Amino acid sequence: MSSLTESRSVTGRQGGRRMPRLFGEVGPALPAFLLIVFFFVAPVVALLLRSVLEPVPGLQNYETLLGSATYIGVFANTFIVSTVVTAAALAIGFPVAWALVVMPMTWSRIVFAILILSMWTNLLARTYAWMVLLQRTGLINKMLMAVGLTDEPLTLVNNLTGVTIGMTYIMLPFVILPLYGVISNIDKAVLRAAALCGANRWQALTRVLLPLAAPGMAAGGLMVFVMSLGYFVTPALLGGTSNMMLAELIAQLVQSLTDWGLGSAAAFVLLLSTLVLYGLMLKFFGTSRLGGQ
Amino acid sequence: MLLDFDRLGWWRWALGGFTAAVAAFLLLPIVFIAALSFGSSQWLIFPPPSWTTRWYSELFADQRWLDAALNSLKIGLVVTVLSVVIGLAASFALVRGRFRGRETLKALFLTPMILPVVVLAVALYAFFLRLGINGTMTGFVIAHLLVALPFSILALTTALEGFDKSIEDAAILCGASPFEAKMRVTLPGISAGLFSAAIFSFLTSWDEVVLAIFMASPTLQTLPVRIWSTLRQDLTPVVASVSTLLVLVTIVLMLLVALIRKGLSKP
Amino acid sequence: MTVPFLKIDGIRKEYGPVVAVEDVNLTIERGELVTFLGPSGSGKSTTLYILAGFEKPTLGDIRLNGQTLLSTPSHQRNIGMVFQRYTLFPHLSVGDNIAFPLKVRRKSKADVTERVREMLKLVRLEGYEDRKPAMMSGGQQQRVALARALAYDPPILLMDEPLSALDKKLRDELQHEIRRIHHETDVTILYVTHDQEEALRLSDRIAVFSKGRIDQVGTGPELYADPATRFVAEFVGDSDFLSCRVTHSQGGRANVVLGGDFAVEGVPLHDERGTPGEGALLLRPERIDLSRSEPTGWRGLPVRVDDVTFLGSNVHVIAQTGWGETVSVRLPFGHEHISGLSRGDEAWLRFDPNEAHVFV
Repeated sequence: MSSLTESRSVTGRQGGRRMPRLFGEVGPALPAFLLIVFFFVAPVVALLLRSVLEPVPGLQNYETLLGSATYIGVFANTFIVSTVVTAAALAIGFPVAWALVVMPMTWSRIVFAILILSMWTNLLARTYAWMVLLQRTGLINKMLMAVGLTDEPLTLVNNLTGVTIGMTYIMLPFVILPLYGVISNIDKAVLRAAALCGANRWQALTRVLLPLAAPGMAAGGLMVFVMSLGYFVTPALLGGTSNMMLAELIAQLVQSLTDWGLGSAAAFVLLLSTLVLYGLMLKFFGTSRLGGQ
Repeated sequence: MLLDFDRLGWWRWALGGFTAAVAAFLLLPIVFIAALSFGSSQWLIFPPPSWTTRWYSELFADQRWLDAALNSLKIGLVVTVLSVVIGLAASFALVRGRFRGRETLKALFLTPMILPVVVLAVALYAFFLRLGINGTMTGFVIAHLLVALPFSILALTTALEGFDKSIEDAAILCGASPFEAKMRVTLPGISAGLFSAAIFSFLTSWDEVVLAIFMASPTLQTLPVRIWSTLRQDLTPVVASVSTLLVLVTIVLMLLVALIRKGLSKP
Repeated sequence: MTVPFLKIDGIRKEYGPVVAVEDVNLTIERGELVTFLGPSGSGKSTTLYILAGFEKPTLGDIRLNGQTLLSTPSHQRNIGMVFQRYTLFPHLSVGDNIAFPLKVRRKSKADVTERVREMLKLVRLEGYEDRKPAMMSGGQQQRVALARALAYDPPILLMDEPLSALDKKLRDELQHEIRRIHHETDVTILYVTHDQEEALRLSDRIAVFSKGRIDQVGTGPELYADPATRFVAEFVGDSDFLSCRVTHSQGGRANVVLGGDFAVEGVPLHDERGTPGEGALLLRPERIDLSRSEPTGWRGLPVRVDDVTFLGSNVHVIAQTGWGETVSVRLPFGHEHISGLSRGDEAWLRFDPNEAHVFV
């Protein structure tokens, strides 16, 4: 405490008189602030305004968007794919995060390295790999046919199956890393206590470990869901033209059809859903801290 | 007991096996493209009939690929410098400042990271069209800076929070000016954070696709845009060779981050 | 011969090259409260973990009523345990925590409710049923942990330094509670601690752990009056050690010489196979008498007073022998030779050789 007041007086003497103290403290944030306001807040607000101003003022863009079966189909695709991807990422991610907490260091380091590498490898490179892997003559189809799971090559790409596989692949690290954090904070003595209380492994898993990991599952799951809602590259490359997702629709409306009003309205729907979900997340995990320490 | 590895019984084999499978799943595409890039088949048959470096030769012979890579590098470096400088200043304000609304300001700075990029891309596209900077170097730098800055601010606020301000105060009491004290004491103290901020800013810009697709003009393309437009036409193995090189760049940069963290954590 | 209730038989535990427990043997009767006393790293906790089934011993066996426990996994051992850290399930209420072991045993709802009420009464936390653990103090959490561990009526309760995170006042209070609960339930308790006072206060018997072995097992008074090793003497009660030379030994008694010329005869001898002839004489500070004048009728050990500290009911005197060793003496307040005693004074010490011990 004393060092804090001391430092205040030291810096205060230097910069005190000429500019107000507040400016000295907020000032350095100004370039970032201007950048964000001018090139982020302003353009986004402008875009949203276009959704109610173009071609004529009114809500007709939203009416079109919510009234047409085509667009409802796009919303449905987006919602279904995001839900499936989230569920799959959680189901695969939980055991992996758990294993990372308990397995010997040397192994977990290797898995971590792979996770980080896959996360930071160029998105297009990863998506390209899946385009090739999933094509009719691709490796996955060959393997499926070799083990006799199918006689005919399956259509795994240019449809929502491809999108789901590719997106699950991309989202996995975003579930595993936060879940790892939550599980490694659980005291293993609590699970020992469960065992001594008579809980077998299955009971300890369902009644203790999973409930304690639930906040992490919810947070990670929500994040993946939100990210999936607005994902563009992977659906555009692995999906088909007949099964569009929301981000692609926005891009197409703006770029190919130059229908700015409708495109902006679609962007606003996406933005609003994202913000609402983030708000939920904050409300959920900002106020109540489940799981104790 | 579920968190004691040696008391998991057969579950540990199940868990370990599953994790190994997932790790393989995560690694598969990366290894696969690397192998593909040396395969001789134009139609990406795997395993390939024979091995070749033909796709790499084609890649390096094509001026358009080289230009795109050069553009990406230039934009990436400018973005890195700006992102670290602006991010550092902002982080000082966010960590050291005692003004109201600090948390809100930090949240504002981080929003470009969590909002759907496609919304930002469309908004910027419209805005840049009006400003007349769409498809220019300036446009690219601003767009990439917006998404790189949050990573820089995250890394730098964390580093600054972990740095004891009384060390800087001690330097000032020793007679250094506040600026001198920051340059000679604080910045070396948070150098690991600065390196992470720089590397993640560069990687974010270097790999950025969505903003770039909207920003790009026929005359100015980044590497990801070039890959994107190529992929929309066909799955040429040349893309496999570019991708392999990109993976290499990532590995090098990640190793760098790991080395720097390791080196700096030692006293 | 009857089968002992619980037998720890030649337990050894190695972690790679490190030997955590070397050779532990102990027999425990039903209903006893036995403490494992020792410094950290002496193997007491590891032994407890082996009993709980968290660790497998490298060698040895644990038998409950003659049946080995080692092949039974933790969750089927039916043993209760209270941990050093708070291990209540943070997502469950106090009532649900206590109900947990009953529910996994598929007890009927009525039984569970009834038992939870009983247990809350036992640990005096009636009315706290719906609280979350995070809303309770450390002492309350450990009471709940105790209730949870006793809910299924285990024959054995393990306690691993359960009070070490609490402050002194709460610790005293809970020690009292544990003794009460032990009397009320007749459960056999194995209690790990590094605090000799806690061990003396709680236990029927104490097992003193040192370097992966049990040095001695006995009641508090036994350990104090007749320590088997120098380590036990140091760990239980206060102690003075003076280096000595053994001149003669026979039948468990020895004659020794302190500082060249002060002979003490007939001291109980404990052989620890140290350097032959060299030994350490143990005195208890509270069993030493002090005189200001050269006594007549007995030969006193001459010392010079270094420091006198008043500690309420008694007075602590630090004195130095002629050859430079330090002895601390504790005298009752009001002892005839205390008043006016100060640094630099000469004094003579007297002790009963029968109460001293020589460790060789």
